[in-house]
Amino acid sequence: MRYADFTHHDLLLLLQGLGVSVALFVATTIIGSIIGLAWAMLRYYRTPLLAPLAAAVAELLKNSPVLVQLFLVFFGLPVLLETDLTPVQAALITLSGNTAAFVYVIAVSAIESVGREQLETARVFGLSRWQALRRIVAPQAAAFGFGPLAGLLVNQLQVTSLISVIGVVDLTKAGAILNVRTLKPFIVWTVIGVLYYLMARLIARSCARVETRLRAHSQWKGL
Amino acid sequence: MSLTFDPTTLAPYLGDLAAGARLSALACALALAGGLALGIVAALMRTSASPLVRRIAGVYADVFRNVPFIVQLFFLFYGLPEIGVELSAFGTGVLALSLAGGAFTSDVIRSGILAVEPGVLEAAQVSGLSRLAIYRRIVLPIALRSAVRPLGSVFVNLILTSSILSAITINELTGSAKIIASDTFQPFEVYALLLLLYAVMTWLVSLSAGALHRHLNRAA
Repeated sequence: MRYADFTHHDLLLLLQGLGVSVALFVATTIIGSIIGLAWAMLRYYRTPLLAPLAAAVAELLKNSPVLVQLFLVFFGLPVLLETDLTPVQAALITLSGNTAAFVYVIAVSAIESVGREQLETARVFGLSRWQALRRIVAPQAAAFGFGPLAGLLVNQLQVTSLISVIGVVDLTKAGAILNVRTLKPFIVWTVIGVLYYLMARLIARSCARVETRLRAHSQWKGL
Repeated sequence: MSLTFDPTTLAPYLGDLAAGARLSALACALALAGGLALGIVAALMRTSASPLVRRIAGVYADVFRNVPFIVQLFFLFYGLPEIGVELSAFGTGVLALSLAGGAFTSDVIRSGILAVEPGVLEAAQVSGLSRLAIYRRIVLPIALRSAVRPLGSVFVNLILTSSILSAITINELTGSAKIIASDTFQPFEVYALLLLLYAVMTWLVSLSAGALHRHLNRAA
């Protein structure tokens, strides 16, 4: 006989899944942003060979399904390299790489949004390329790129749900477990959906707050 | 450590892969039509004069954009039979893709509608055109024409999202690749090939959307 009612333990399972989803989202956002910004630096310094390679890899990652990337890393890499990967490791690698590709695209267009003449002026005044980036390009590019970045973060949170397919017990997998046991799909998936929705709103809300602060310098302050 | 990469052994499975690709293409084409229909209706509702209508369509777009597709898919796949709606897995997949696609499409078309100059609308109203005629002959042609390129990227996303349909036992492109990978014990080659296939497909779609956009919006 199966026990099909909801129990207190289910709440624990949901919380655990929520924690795994949030932790993976935060970790892959941080790792992905660092890698993506590093790729953008390759382009800023016009590194030969590496810069076009980074652009090609980013394009490939952007234009293929995350699920397939996940399968390639989780099922393919261990066979090719004869190593073992846990589902969490595979999820970390894939999601970080995917986030990096999108951060790269956003960073490149944000840097390009700052007029070339500003960079040239800075160079004429004797600033090094790094100083020009640090003092002149980056602050403006940050304000420009933050809007798209906020959209990306909301999207990447949803992408984390795919790791349930390779067996990571995240929020979606917790939902699948409860779905099979309780056979109440409407309630279970509604609860899971609401939790994701609230997290997405939270991310969007906090990003909007930071963005107003970044754009404070260009706002009309009144006479 | 031995690095072996031998894609030639996959040749006998290309037929299976092609069958999967056909199913993917069919699902995407149906979802594109469904998403476009839903998206146009939702966009018209979101730009309507009545706040209640705007609100309803706004909630639809908001929910389907902020909940992961796989959760929406499972909700429909497991939930619909519970309320007595028996759909095939493929039907459920197309329905889910259309619903999600409609939410994103409505965004694109809505901004196309908002970009129609108020003067044009006033001129149409003054000329005594009915509301339906204004929508059909003036608003939608302008809005859709300027929305072709962004619609192309919505379609690209739809193609990428369709890979998730493999999670509900549909053997579309990703689903058939999963079977091939476990048959050949060559997951790396199979999924690398799959990655390239999707990249080429989406690249072709965005190229043609760009070309169509330029053609429709060329200076007369």
